[in-house]
Amino acid sequence: MTRYIIRRIGYSLVSLLLLSLTIFLFVRVTGDPTTLLVEPGASQADINAIRERFGLDQPIWLQYWTFIGSLVQGDFGQSFYYRMPVLELYVSRLPSSLLLAPAAMAFSLLIGIPSGVLAAVRVGRFWDRAGKIFALLGLSLPSFWVGLVLILFFSVYLEWLPSSGSGTVWHLLMPAFALGWYFAAAHMRLTRSSMLEVLGSEYIKLARLKGLPESLVIAKHAFKNALIPVLTLAGINLVIMINVAVVVETVFAWPGIGRLLYEGITFRDFPVVQAVVLLGGGMIVIVNLLIDVLYAVIDPRIRLES
Amino acid sequence: MACNRDGTHHPLEVGLSTALCNATRGRNGGPVGTTRREAISLLALAVLAGRAGPANAAGGNGQLSWGVHVSLAPTWFDPAEMSGIITPYMVYYALHDGLVKAMPGQPFAPSLATSWSASDDGLVYEFTLRDGVKFHDGEPVTAEDVKFSYERYRGSSSKALKDHVASVETPDPKRVLFKLKQPWPDFMTFYTSATAAAWIVPKKYVEQVGDEGFKKAPIGAGPYKFVSFTPGVELTLEAFDQYWRKKPNVDRLVFKVIPDEATRLAALKRGEVDIVYSIRGELAEELQRTKGLALKPTVIQAPFWLYFPDQWDPSSPWHDQRVRQAASFAIDNNGINQALTLGYSKITGSIIPYTFEHYWQPPAPVYDPARAKKLLAEAGHPNGFDAGDYYCDASYSNLAEAVLNNLQAIGIRAKLRPLERAAFFKGYGEKSYKNLIQGASGAFGNAATRLQAFVVKGGTYVYGSYPDIDALFDQQAAELDAKKRAAILDKIQQLVSERTIYAHLWQLAFINGAGPRVGESGLGLIAGHAYSAPYEDLTLAAK
Repeated sequence: MTRYIIRRIGYSLVSLLLLSLTIFLFVRVTGDPTTLLVEPGASQADINAIRERFGLDQPIWLQYWTFIGSLVQGDFGQSFYYRMPVLELYVSRLPSSLLLAPAAMAFSLLIGIPSGVLAAVRVGRFWDRAGKIFALLGLSLPSFWVGLVLILFFSVYLEWLPSSGSGTVWHLLMPAFALGWYFAAAHMRLTRSSMLEVLGSEYIKLARLKGLPESLVIAKHAFKNALIPVLTLAGINLVIMINVAVVVETVFAWPGIGRLLYEGITFRDFPVVQAVVLLGGGMIVIVNLLIDVLYAVIDPRIRLES
Repeated sequence: MACNRDGTHHPLEVGLSTALCNATRGRNGGPVGTTRREAISLLALAVLAGRAGPANAAGGNGQLSWGVHVSLAPTWFDPAEMSGIITPYMVYYALHDGLVKAMPGQPFAPSLATSWSASDDGLVYEFTLRDGVKFHDGEPVTAEDVKFSYERYRGSSSKALKDHVASVETPDPKRVLFKLKQPWPDFMTFYTSATAAAWIVPKKYVEQVGDEGFKKAPIGAGPYKFVSFTPGVELTLEAFDQYWRKKPNVDRLVFKVIPDEATRLAALKRGEVDIVYSIRGELAEELQRTKGLALKPTVIQAPFWLYFPDQWDPSSPWHDQRVRQAASFAIDNNGINQALTLGYSKITGSIIPYTFEHYWQPPAPVYDPARAKKLLAEAGHPNGFDAGDYYCDASYSNLAEAVLNNLQAIGIRAKLRPLERAAFFKGYGEKSYKNLIQGASGAFGNAATRLQAFVVKGGTYVYGSYPDIDALFDQQAAELDAKKRAAILDKIQQLVSERTIYAHLWQLAFINGAGPRVGESGLGLIAGHAYSAPYEDLTLAAK
């Protein structure tokens, strides 16, 4: 078991190292950030001074080595745009994302799971077809469009909710719904397919043969088992919501990690983009590691096979 | 990081109590039902039906709020970090003050300095400081602060400035002498305009808290003092009653970052903010149509032009000036301006902002497609020609499309090549483009600095030059007589215009909006300045 865990941790570290290299190279492919930090027409001396200040005049391998060297000491570098430690920026934005993501997840599960169950129970009938249309709309309508429609309707016309910003529960409602909407469709589809699979299993047939009421069969025997893959997906989606709610956070001016990533990309702020991607990647790696370990604890065959 | 110098929290609007109040009533205002299920239903209904606090959340009587289009950065609190972009001045004009700065009707207005003079040999500049001026912590502004601010300045053009200055002396607390290594006619431009070295920070305080501490809790000599800041999110400032010019009219300023343009407009319509920056196209029209809101365009120091980089290549059609003139006559500047910026951009016909020192007003561009076709035919292109690629910053590809349509109408067929901003300017500066380039610049300076970057041999964005213009440029750089120098710079600009080195598009209008609570928005008071200023002149509308 210990060897298994050590091996999984090793794999995780290799994944993170590869991620760091990928994101480091990827952001540099997008171009030179110095031209975004000065006005067009700036002198070459000014451009060179900025390159030198941010170490962009160094060979790329040396830049990567410096980056990794700082990283192992917990230093994600200084933001080019904000000129402050990236980790400090990340930590300042994290609470907003930690507020938005669970709220969005609550919306998505409240919509996705009941509609998925309903579609599976009424398969091929009205609710199933309605669910499919909902899933299609949920996955295909762009978040910025959903966000703007919400602002237009609830904020400008009805004047019920603030259009943007943060600070109260009312500020949270629209961004949480807009973010949750997309994931609700994914959760609905998975719930439906998972329920259909469970409803076709032998133990459900046995339960029905025993004469249990259908509502009990669905709620107690089918739903609980069908929920496992949905919750696993929801866990991963929660990490995604925390780190890459770029569009929704930008549209609603929500001061979270997604908006920080948007700013990083807009201003080609390499350290910010690197930090957000690496920390988000790190969260996913940790979640996966925990799941792997949990699986191994539950099912000894997994650790023996691997 | 959320910095509060006074230890208070952000002034967040809390509408929860209103909603909970709503949640305790039924639809008809009667008492809440008795069961838990009914209570939950009514709460949900109340959440949907109740108003989330007052719509006018922009603030009380003593407050003005902005919906800002760019992320606010702490580096903007420190003039020493000015990187050459115009946005930090949004904050400088509130928090800090300069020895000399642009003010309404005065590009070089005395501020912390009451007067300045240059010695006859042009080697010494002397500034006399204003009496009784204080920083926000009550300390007086002294010559030592001026010297310190100059010496710690490390922003845009710092090398160019410091290469010319031999020493800074402070013979007494109210006088500062800048001694130059050699006469430099552009000293005032670089010291007070192209750099932020003349925006004064308190030496004692900066030394006490350090550079990082200063950015977290800045102190200046401007009309507003720092209250709180969340990087990239919100900045709150409070009036400094002892500001030397006047006591500010508005007690509190709040800058909220709202990156999305449509959301900014929604916030303005709802009264959540009083002024919004950068509203373009259809949204600007929508703003114009909305009762109670006002468009507030400002023409910024950013002219746009069409550059012919192949004009020095004898094998290129652009070598023939008639072809360049034809392109210029083909462009419907006023029509494009009307369509894209509601007619608020300024058609100057120059690559130099009209607000810059030594600006020479060229003849206005003329839209005459018939004359353009005639010139093309005379140049041997009666059926037009394939002009290759038209490079532009993708942010302004709408402008490029309009120009391309105009060129197409006279037979000049070009293919649009929009590039992401950084990539575009990199290629422009590395001189890797051919055919047509849609350029622009918002850099600080004067006519000479613009000509140096865009016209004269060796300039960052110069693909070729004319020897007589180069010679005139060298001549003006050595000329100490201000009038003679101005005449030479006028002559150079005249030659640039006559030779059609560029075809001109517009000097861009930055379109903003103001809500009904605003009296004086400060937008457009200072020529060429994009944002509200001077802040002490802002007012709320009379009730």
